[in-house]
Amino acid sequence: MKRTSKDGRCKLPDNTALKQQQLPAYRLQLSATGVLSGFFATGVFCLGVGIILILNAKSIKEIEIKYTEICGNCAKLREDATNFDKECTCSIPFYLSETMQGNVYMYYKLYGFYQNLYRYILSRSNSQLVGTDLKDVGNCAPFSKSHDGTPIAPCGAIANSIFNDTIILSYNLNSSIPIKVPMLRSGITWWTDKYVKFQNPSYINLSSAFAGTTKPPSWAKPVYELDEEDPGNNGFLNDDFIVWMRTAAFPTFKKLYRRLNRIQYFTEGLPAGNYSFNITYNFPVTRFRGEKSVVLSTLTWSGGSSLFLGLAYTVTGAVTWLASFSMMAVHLMLKDRKMLFIQQ
Amino acid sequence: MEREPAAAEEPRSPGRRRRRRRRGDGRTRVVRSNLLPPPGVEDPAAGAAKGARRRRRGGAQHLADNRLKTTKYTLLSFLPKNLFEQFHRLANVYFVFIALLNFVPAVNAFQPGLALAPVLFILAVTAFKDLWEDYSRHRSDHEINHLGCLVFSREEKQYVNRFWKEIRVGDFVRLRCNEIIPADILLLSSSDPDGLCHIETANLDGETNLKRRQVVRGFSELVSEFNPLTFTSVIECEKPNNDLSRFRGCIIHDSGKKAGLYKENLLLRGCTIRNTEAVVGIVIYAGHETKALLNNSGPRYKRSQLERQMNCDVLWCVLLLVCMSLFSAVGHGLWVRRYQEKKSLFDVPESDGSSLSPVTAAVYSFLTMIIVLQVLIPISLYVSIEIVKVCQVYFIHQDVELYDEETDSQLQCRALNITEDLGQIQYIFSDKTGTLTENKMVFRRCTVSGIEYSHDANAQRLARYQEADSEEEEAVPRGGSLPQRGSIGSHQSVRVMHRTQSTKSHRRTGSRAEAKRASMLSKHTAFSSPMEKDITPDPKLLEKVNECDRCLATARPQERPLAHLSPELSDVFDFFIALTICNTVVVTSPDQPRQKVRVRFEVKSPVKTIEDFLRRFSPSRLTSGCSSIGSLTANKATHKSGSNFLSTLSNDSTLFKLEERLGQPAAAIASNGYSSGAASWGPEHTAQEQKLQREQERELRYEAESPDEAALVYAARAYNCALVDRLHDQVSVELPHLGRLTFELLHTLGFDSIRKRMSVVIRHPLTDEINVYTKGADSVVMDLLLPCSSDDARGRHQKKIRSKTQNYLNLYAVEGLRTLCIAKRVLSEEEYACWLQSHLEAESSLDNREELLFQSAIRLETNLHLLGATGIEDRLQDGVPETIAKLRQAGLQIWVLTGDKQETAINIAYACKLLDHDEEVITLNAESQEACAALLDQCLHYVQSRSPRSAPEKTAGNVSVGFSPLCPPSTSTTSGPSLSLVIDGRSLAYALEKNLEDKFLFLAKQCRSVLCCRSTPLQKSMVVKLVRSKLKAMTLAIVMASDFAVPRFRYLERLLIVHGHWCYSRLANMVLYFFYKNTMFVGLLFWFQFYCGFSASAMIDQWYLIFFNLLFSSLPQLVTGVLDKDVPADMLLTEPQLYKSGQNMEEYRPRTFWLNMADAAFQSLVCFFIPYLACYDSDTDVFTWGTPITAIALFTFLLHLGIETKTWTWLNWIACGFSILLFFTVALIYNASCATCYPPSNPYWTMQTLLGDPVFYLTCLIAPVAALLPRLFFKAVQGSLFPTQLQLGRQLAKRSPKKLIASKETFAQGHLPGEPRTESSEQKSISTSGHLSQDCTSQASWHGQRPACSPEASGEPSVVDMNVTLRENILLEGLSSQAPGSSMPRGAILEGCPGDSKMKCTSTSRAAPLSSIFNLPNFSSLNWISSLSLVSGLGSVLQFSRSSLQMDKQDSEFLPSPPQPDQDLCGLSGQGTDYF
Repeated sequence: MKRTSKDGRCKLPDNTALKQQQLPAYRLQLSATGVLSGFFATGVFCLGVGIILILNAKSIKEIEIKYTEICGNCAKLREDATNFDKECTCSIPFYLSETMQGNVYMYYKLYGFYQNLYRYILSRSNSQLVGTDLKDVGNCAPFSKSHDGTPIAPCGAIANSIFNDTIILSYNLNSSIPIKVPMLRSGITWWTDKYVKFQNPSYINLSSAFAGTTKPPSWAKPVYELDEEDPGNNGFLNDDFIVWMRTAAFPTFKKLYRRLNRIQYFTEGLPAGNYSFNITYNFPVTRFRGEKSVVLSTLTWSGGSSLFLGLAYTVTGAVTWLASFSMMAVHLMLKDRKMLFIQQ
Repeated sequence: MEREPAAAEEPRSPGRRRRRRRRGDGRTRVVRSNLLPPPGVEDPAAGAAKGARRRRRGGAQHLADNRLKTTKYTLLSFLPKNLFEQFHRLANVYFVFIALLNFVPAVNAFQPGLALAPVLFILAVTAFKDLWEDYSRHRSDHEINHLGCLVFSREEKQYVNRFWKEIRVGDFVRLRCNEIIPADILLLSSSDPDGLCHIETANLDGETNLKRRQVVRGFSELVSEFNPLTFTSVIECEKPNNDLSRFRGCIIHDSGKKAGLYKENLLLRGCTIRNTEAVVGIVIYAGHETKALLNNSGPRYKRSQLERQMNCDVLWCVLLLVCMSLFSAVGHGLWVRRYQEKKSLFDVPESDGSSLSPVTAAVYSFLTMIIVLQVLIPISLYVSIEIVKVCQVYFIHQDVELYDEETDSQLQCRALNITEDLGQIQYIFSDKTGTLTENKMVFRRCTVSGIEYSHDANAQRLARYQEADSEEEEAVPRGGSLPQRGSIGSHQSVRVMHRTQSTKSHRRTGSRAEAKRASMLSKHTAFSSPMEKDITPDPKLLEKVNECDRCLATARPQERPLAHLSPELSDVFDFFIALTICNTVVVTSPDQPRQKVRVRFEVKSPVKTIEDFLRRFSPSRLTSGCSSIGSLTANKATHKSGSNFLSTLSNDSTLFKLEERLGQPAAAIASNGYSSGAASWGPEHTAQEQKLQREQERELRYEAESPDEAALVYAARAYNCALVDRLHDQVSVELPHLGRLTFELLHTLGFDSIRKRMSVVIRHPLTDEINVYTKGADSVVMDLLLPCSSDDARGRHQKKIRSKTQNYLNLYAVEGLRTLCIAKRVLSEEEYACWLQSHLEAESSLDNREELLFQSAIRLETNLHLLGATGIEDRLQDGVPETIAKLRQAGLQIWVLTGDKQETAINIAYACKLLDHDEEVITLNAESQEACAALLDQCLHYVQSRSPRSAPEKTAGNVSVGFSPLCPPSTSTTSGPSLSLVIDGRSLAYALEKNLEDKFLFLAKQCRSVLCCRSTPLQKSMVVKLVRSKLKAMTLAIVMASDFAVPRFRYLERLLIVHGHWCYSRLANMVLYFFYKNTMFVGLLFWFQFYCGFSASAMIDQWYLIFFNLLFSSLPQLVTGVLDKDVPADMLLTEPQLYKSGQNMEEYRPRTFWLNMADAAFQSLVCFFIPYLACYDSDTDVFTWGTPITAIALFTFLLHLGIETKTWTWLNWIACGFSILLFFTVALIYNASCATCYPPSNPYWTMQTLLGDPVFYLTCLIAPVAALLPRLFFKAVQGSLFPTQLQLGRQLAKRSPKKLIASKETFAQGHLPGEPRTESSEQKSISTSGHLSQDCTSQASWHGQRPACSPEASGEPSVVDMNVTLRENILLEGLSSQAPGSSMPRGAILEGCPGDSKMKCTSTSRAAPLSSIFNLPNFSSLNWISSLSLVSGLGSVLQFSRSSLQMDKQDSEFLPSPPQPDQDLCGLSGQGTDYF
């Protein structure tokens, strides 16, 4: 305690707070007032955030159209893999009752497509995609080489199974002439993906750059002809390709397809009116009992249209309050009981 | 394979054949001097050359040299050997297996190299720890190997300094006083004239009293200095073994004569030479073949109870893992089948284009899942636990409160891995002497010739010491009659003693302890403190002694001087002579060890030379009587006996004058206490003062084998009867008037625990009679007395004296004093001669020697004349009653196993609060197996009749427990008076029989404390083993070779109640937290399988997955595991019952484990589904979604830990902050390091992107809160509705620290016994009241005993049986006449004291002396089985010095060696059983 180290007391332990386990400590105590106020505060906070989030999510306009059923004949056609070269288009008219303000994003959404399968995720070659070594197809089996041994570019199951529908949104301004809604196919990827992780081999001519490789078996066109309109959007730098290569977390997912180019009629967003999707149906989903849909949506700071986060906050807040009320009841009850025991 | 010594190894020598033969039987080893040429080589020159060669070669090949090597590894062998050892741990094998599984492409889940990382990390950490330990071992080995010692060199023909490691078998080693013995050495020569040597075996067994070792017969008589060059004998002895208490062999001289070698001839490595100037011996066993090292089995690995439970839960986790994997595999199989018919786009076929069949896919998935979910088996758990335990041990070491200033020692933990067991102890087994008491024997009172001398002044003196002790340790004792100088000087010596003692607790002989000891070579040991030395004599008795002295001085010239004394005075005189000489006390001066005495008396004492001169020429009367004995011993004996002739010569008076002249300067009545006090009544006032002055110059110091002996010698010195010199064949006693009396010492029959007595045979210088003085336990000595007829007056007088003495003995026992009886026998020359003859035969017999010696001793020690009895107090250590009270409140059942007699034990038990006046004491004293069984049945019946109350008590315990801190603990803990059990050694022997042990244990279980009196060491260990095996309880036994060494008993309180509780609760919580953490983490992965087709995919990046447990989340829990204090120390100490939480395993039991797991499952559900639902229907990719989950998991873990952590120090904050910081830093760096690496996650810029996403923050905020909400809620509700005791303690401590102190004070007043002083006075009143009632019982039983007094009574069962029945009847009579209230037949006494007023208790507790009826004089034949006297050295098996209170949790690794051969012990150590 207060013994001091004298000569010869060589074994006297140091009397420091740490060694004597006497460090000043805050003692966590679940006292009634502390817990109750803590619970109340948490409840208030959660409810507040929850309500904000819900309101926020409510402000989002979103429209989703499943087109597997609508384009049933196309779906049937694609079920047979041998019909891959037959083109099938499908038009889906719809009515937008409200204007979608601000930036509008177009997604395609797949149901029941397991992009998170362990073996599926592995089946890609990052070094090929970054353009350094086109012939590196290490992890891509079985989509690494074609039958004659030429390496596939881009190799792997992910690339092979790319979503290859074409969706064009048309606006029927005067119910006669459909106007093609201007959409941007750029800016839909992570910046780092587009500029760091994916690179084309450095050649003047893309097709010669990819010489000596072959296209994935399911693909109709080689990788350097993915975008016929924009030569810069070809090869590994194709935005749709990059988006696809970022494997989704769940079997049901949507991926950003296009974003609204806010020009002409669409500077404020998508005005209300009649629209239609013109879809070139390529991607077979009925084979895995999946579905696909196209989604138009706006965004806020808190993400997409999902109400869940807001609900989670609200529910947590409510539960916290409930808990604190019940604890208060217990506490009050206990006060009486304590009195009783003291009397005893 | 026995390694033969070099001498027998020479090829082509005649010894070769013999060697082969030896190899065949392999029982013995032959040792020859290394200085001799090897056998078979006649030519000395060639022999020398060959010898040198042999030496070289032999050193490499065959000799076990003295080099100590305790390291496990060499540089080369470290890696393979260490890995091999690490793979003994199943967990490591498992983890390596999992990691290797990753190398199989079909099932791999992680990058193979990465998967190995954690395993390698863990292995590396452990390897590093092992390496460090091994290195420190190496260093200490090196230190010891390079200690120096004198070895005889053949080349230089003298002793030269060599390192220890260079000593070889067959070398001659010369050791000086206070040197440590480097190897097992056969003692060949000693500077001591008797050929004796004293060693202190503290390094081996912790006993600080000195043991005697004897020069091999045939060497002690050498007149000249021992010359190793002339040593040509061959030594045959046993193979090296680890039996410390046994050594057998023989030495074959050139002449072909054989002499036996015994344990007494062997100096053991690690012991210290004391009191002997120099010894020479030949090395018999060296290095690792020494007994000390063979006993050193290295550090022990014990598995704590908590760890066992944890391992069981790990197995549950394995099962869970397998279940999860199986579930997942089946799921995957089904999933594959579902998508099998049509090739889906996301299907990844085999290389040949075919898809996996569902079954194959399921099998692969199973294996991959095992890899992915391996986190469930916490890889870092074992390492973390080890780290935490090391830190806990460190903090226990560092506790100032456990530091003993007096001995400068702290508590030591030797077993690093059982600290948490300290928090779960249910039973404590303790010795009494040296454990509860200080082992400082103080003479308190005595009775001589039936008259009691109460020594009131002495009692007051002791009281003063107690006060002085308690006030301030540094203060000089303020005893009025104490000269300053003496007390200061001796105080110092006390400290020195303790300092030397403090080092002995190092178990590893030949370890650092030895090195430390080497630095203390000059220090002494075995001194007595002033308290033990300064005895204030009783004036009445002193007057009588002086009268004797004067009377004898005047009557001396006459023919029979003793006849002039009255019988009483004669008894007084004999009593003090017996006290002075009937022992083995060695006289030394403070600054020097015992001199080479031979030289001394040639120079200083001419009388001695005259004596010697005369002795040589005087005809011996005895040689004629026993001329047939031709052995060396006989020569010695006759040699001895010749000297006594001198004193009977007619020129006695002239001699006397000579002696007187010489004696005065040498006189040493060194009693400080006496010197001033005696001045008033001593007529030779001035003479005494002069003596005192002289005595200042040369203070006598007594060194005894046991403190009891020293106490008696100091007591005698206080009565002017001072032991001034002890030589091999004579003892000198200094008396004021008579001057120096020199008693010729014919024989010493040392103390042993079987006989429980010791005797000396002397020739009395005044009467020239041969006297036997016997000192021993009253139970033994009283049986050996000369039967006295009641016909004549003398006989009646004798009988009266005996009964009076017996009464006083009982009184002493009631006072808690250790009693000894002193008796005397006069032998005629013829009797002695005959006895001597048979005794010498016994001594020289090779086999059955012990038995024969025992018989011989019995023949001598019989028909004794009782002189008196002494009462020695062994003071309780400071704080013992308080500690025991606390420990009992803490729910610990305390067993005290002592060799004391029942009354003594009971009274000490009351004094130290082991027994309480409020509780019922069941006393079990049975004389036979049947009686014991009946008694047990009765007691059980009684216990069961009152047990219905105790049964619901347990269930109701929770309720009463809840509010107990607010009310006095004693009322809450038990509903009725609790039980205690007292059992004596004999009954214990019966009760430990197979058919009774269950009953006995059941009974003992009901009792809060158990006191076993008169128990032998063997019984003690049996009891501990029984309880441990049958009750499956956590036991703590206080022993020598132990896991923890506590400086004092009272530290036990803090060690168990505070540190034990903390360690347990910390570790339990940490283990639970580990399981929680891993389950929760694995849960996240498992839930994900439902969304990825059970394909064993993980959304968490593999780096996070692998390093999460190891790095990101490990530090905070370590800090909490090391530092958390669930209840502050003072609270734990004030409310010891909080300790019960550990005993009942409240913190970590199967239920808490599963609740914990359920909570983990819930939390993982929340932490999975909140991010899942938040990201459902969004465009996040797998790992961008998985990273927030990792972060959420981290936050949840930290918050969870925060809830579980009871005290938050800055270290906790830093650790948590560090964890978070580390995670994000690593994540950011990792995610920025490589754009295309780390498949499959390829996490480039993920964390950076996430940090810009509000959803990330929102989920990270809500998920941990929602996950922990239920836990927090239930904890809060439970804490306020059904708080556990610990929670209440916490609340109380938190609420008001001041109030706590106040309550502590009231608590101390209310529940601790008042002051020890008042307590003892109360005791006294009880005992005196009991004393009267006992008077007649003891007499009554006295009659019954008489048949047993016959010398033949020993060892014949039929006689014993008869005696037993006889005695039982008398006992019953006594009982019915004495205590009509207690109608228990056969002597079970249940003391009822149903918690009323204390007054009533004291009156009824007279039953304590009452119960002693059953223990009245025992019969000798059974005694030796069942009891162990504490009188002396043997008791020291468990008689530790106070600074070496040690304890052992489970198995002690080796047995302390008793100083005397003890069959019980031999058997015990042979079986390798434990001594508790």
